[in-house]
Amino acid sequence: MSTDDESFHPLGEEWEDELESMLDDTEYDSELGMKMAQDAMRVTEGELSEAEFHDRYHEEVMEEFGEDERPTKEAYEAAQEEAKGTASRMLDKFDGDGDETRRETMKKMGVGAAAVGMGAFGTVADGPEQSLAAEKGPRQETTEESDTQWGMTIDLERCDGCLSCMTACSQENDLDQGVNWMYVMAWEDENHHGASESGNTDVNSDFNRLSDFNMLVRPCQHCTDAPCEKVCPTTARHTRDKDGLVLTDYDVCIGCRYCQVACPYGVNYFQWDDPDVAYEDIDGFEDPEDPDEITHAKYEHGERWVDSRAPRGVMSKCTMCPSMQDGKQGEEKVGTTACETACPPNAIQFGNVKDEASDPSQHREYPTKSRAVINLNTDIPSADVVDSNVSDGDSLEDAIEAIDSTEDADLDADMVAIAKAIEIRSRESETEPGDGENNSILEKQQTVLEFVTALEEYVDLESEESLATLDLDMTDSLEDSAQIRLEQYAGDPSSFQLLEDVGTNPNVTYLGTQPGPEAHQVEGPTKYEDVDLLDKRQEYLDKETVGHVDGVSL
Amino acid sequence: MSTKEPTEADILRPINTFTKKYIILYGAAALGLVAFLIAWAYQLQKGLIVTGLGDWGSGGGSTWGLYIGAFIWWVGVAHGGIILSAAVRLLGMDRYMPIARLAEMTTIGGLSAAGFYILVHMGRPDRMVTSVIGHYHITVNNSPLVWDVTVITAYFVLSATYLGLTLRYDISRLRDDLPDMFEPVYKIMTIGYSEKEDEVIDRMVWWLAAAVIIMAPLLLHGGVIPWLFALLPAMPAWSGGIQGPMFLAIALMSAISGVMIISYAFRRAYDWDHIITDDIFRGLLLWLGFFTLLFLWFQLQANINGVFLGPTNSAVAAEAKMAHPLYQMAMAMAFLTLVYIFLQAIRPSLFSKKRALVASCAILTATLTEKILFVVEGFLHPTFDIYANTPGTYFPSAIEWLSLVGTAGLVALLFLNLSKLVPVVELHAVEHMRGDHEHSDDATEPEVEA
Ligand code: SF4
Ligand code: SF4
Repeated sequence: MSTDDESFHPLGEEWEDELESMLDDTEYDSELGMKMAQDAMRVTEGELSEAEFHDRYHEEVMEEFGEDERPTKEAYEAAQEEAKGTASRMLDKFDGDGDETRRETMKKMGVGAAAVGMGAFGTVADGPEQSLAAEKGPRQETTEESDTQWGMTIDLERCDGCLSCMTACSQENDLDQGVNWMYVMAWEDENHHGASESGNTDVNSDFNRLSDFNMLVRPCQHCTDAPCEKVCPTTARHTRDKDGLVLTDYDVCIGCRYCQVACPYGVNYFQWDDPDVAYEDIDGFEDPEDPDEITHAKYEHGERWVDSRAPRGVMSKCTMCPSMQDGKQGEEKVGTTACETACPPNAIQFGNVKDEASDPSQHREYPTKSRAVINLNTDIPSADVVDSNVSDGDSLEDAIEAIDSTEDADLDADMVAIAKAIEIRSRESETEPGDGENNSILEKQQTVLEFVTALEEYVDLESEESLATLDLDMTDSLEDSAQIRLEQYAGDPSSFQLLEDVGTNPNVTYLGTQPGPEAHQVEGPTKYEDVDLLDKRQEYLDKETVGHVDGVSL
Repeated sequence: MSTKEPTEADILRPINTFTKKYIILYGAAALGLVAFLIAWAYQLQKGLIVTGLGDWGSGGGSTWGLYIGAFIWWVGVAHGGIILSAAVRLLGMDRYMPIARLAEMTTIGGLSAAGFYILVHMGRPDRMVTSVIGHYHITVNNSPLVWDVTVITAYFVLSATYLGLTLRYDISRLRDDLPDMFEPVYKIMTIGYSEKEDEVIDRMVWWLAAAVIIMAPLLLHGGVIPWLFALLPAMPAWSGGIQGPMFLAIALMSAISGVMIISYAFRRAYDWDHIITDDIFRGLLLWLGFFTLLFLWFQLQANINGVFLGPTNSAVAAEAKMAHPLYQMAMAMAFLTLVYIFLQAIRPSLFSKKRALVASCAILTATLTEKILFVVEGFLHPTFDIYANTPGTYFPSAIEWLSLVGTAGLVALLFLNLSKLVPVVELHAVEHMRGDHEHSDDATEPEVEA
């Protein structure tokens, strides 16, 4: 069985950091540890292969600890059987990664070597097969760190509180009334007032604010250091190594509810009674004999049941649709979630947060530009329309006029300006959508860029005259002007994560206004009951409480 | 006060008598337990929805409630019991020897009740073995709940060993007067016994006692149990270093009170005025007063810290707790008991066993109330306090209340059964009292009046 912890030690990253200093206190040779740590760094830099690294210290480690269960063991053994391939595999791995992953990996490898000293402690109690770094199977991946971490960037200023995501989640997963895996709320605090009072000073554009409310969209944060997982006495709550989703194994959970207690965000919903939708009626259970047909019911590689509503007596929470991510609902749904798809204003951006080209990364790193792309994309004329309507020597005004007058396109100077600004701002960053799943923002950006390129075949958009027309000449620097233009159009939201100081390392990032410590929920633009959702589940639960007296509470 | 000599016949009386009162008591305890078992069966059939519990957060409920509150309360009684008995052996507090075994049995009873609560509280108790034991080697690294189960099991084994070892001495000596019906049990318990082992056992028991005392603040109620709560950043009402000492004080208060009530019952039932003397009650009351004082002091510390220095979220939690009428009632009960104990210490005529009994019941009620409130308060004022439905509502259902009756019945049954099987007062104690009788009054009297 695996615990599927994201970091190599179950106590998480903080613990890893302490490791280095702790090494001095162990009875093992700390000099060896440090030497190994240094060489481990070289491994990450490609100067040394895993197998060489393993070989170099094999004897000393055997002497010191009596066994060698370092993470590189497998590579070493593979290399002995087949003396090629390992190094290139390692290089592949590190070359392809972005900076973030690279740094992470370096740290891990360094600490990983230092951890051998501690790992040996573990083996005393657990036997060699449990030595944390050494386990085969899924656990092995924890030291190698997967390239995928599903997560979201949620643009709170784009959220208009329509609750479509909540409804979609509830339908997708056959949830009971009041089991709101996805929860959307409006809030106020001393600095931010709601719809009734004006004065939302942090808003600088009409575009970005789709409702007068301060919104908060709250799925499970799929934390990298998930406290819910750490406290679970059964490993039912686990993180999938391959993509970092935090899931609950419905067949293992004992219903102690400690995860619900430990999660600081309050995203867990216990199945207090039999679920409304019977097992046989779960979506995607039409052909239970065919493993590819099983989407929701019994599942994760046929081994673990982690999707859809929970059976009675166990814990449930937002899953970020693992059956979609695993391609069980068709290739086109990989990299999407039911809530993301359902959100009319595209406030939810789901994807691989470790992939620079993914929607959540783009939206997080370039919020202004990404917003502009999302908004502009639907209206921008195609390159073909440009080609067939504009001719050489046309002035900018003529070109706009020519395109706008056609049947199938609308265009004005503002749109051209925004498109050009997007093009300017995207020069120094990634523009290829890559082969990631559903990297829609960059795909949409491609359309915009194609339009700009097509137009520039005929019109010089960077001439002084054009820049003046497009209002892109307010500063000397083209980049700065473009940024200002985009901010005027789409705003410049700040980003935050919920309860950052608690140390959970959530994989959901928010754009917009962060609720203060005294923020409280207020009635939002759409009432829960209007879309057939139950807000206060206790009202339902109280009906079945034996000896319940209304209004009596501790 | 009686000046009768304690005899072997005295401590054998519970075993060799069979009264109507016993049957009635047995029936009542069994009824309580069975009633709850039926209720539990209903809960298993319908799901935990039959309790008053719910989801904290948008759901507006409380994840844990009376079950967990009562669980930590029983663990407290158990841990306090074993500490009490260990202290008697380790520090040579001979005066309390007659109740040492009762304290050990209280521990066994408390742990049984606590273990039962773990099962009752779970959504899928049927998976206890496969899910928890099966992943033990992994989860023991992180999960305070697993540490908890580990510690409880360890102390169950420790207490049982402890009790078993000291029983060998008694059973082998009193064997002829014990009922033949249980012959096989006695045979097993005294397997390989020879008088030569007495000294070894004495030393072993001493070391066990030392281990219990040393580990009490770390592993028992001063450590692992409060960590179950204090390590979670989600609920500020639970955090803070004071929880360790607080839990320990509560454990000792509850255990002393529990032992007093049980001692009172045995003394009344079997005319043990000369064995469980007034002197013992006076002494226990003083100790109870001492730990109650500590408890109130820790409460004050926690509240003042929360209200004045804490970050917003813990200030909210502390204020809400102090404003709760049940909390105020519990504190008032503890405080009034403390006042009474203080007064009867300076004016011994204020002492009576009935009053000691009332004081014990008051303390047990206060600690149980505090425990349940402690658990529930956490959910009412979490760190992420944005939800309109938080603080939610919670009131224990009839089934949850019944669990208190059921576990009390369980513990009572344990005592009723054990008292028919083995002496609940050590032979050592009787021998000791006989030997020391002349000067025992002088030795202890001044302490009581002080
Ligand atoms: S938000 Fe984080 S702590 Fe809470 S359930 Fe999700 S992964 Fe666990
Ligand atoms: S309720 Fe289930 S998933 Fe949550 S901590 Fe308990 S066993 Fe783990």
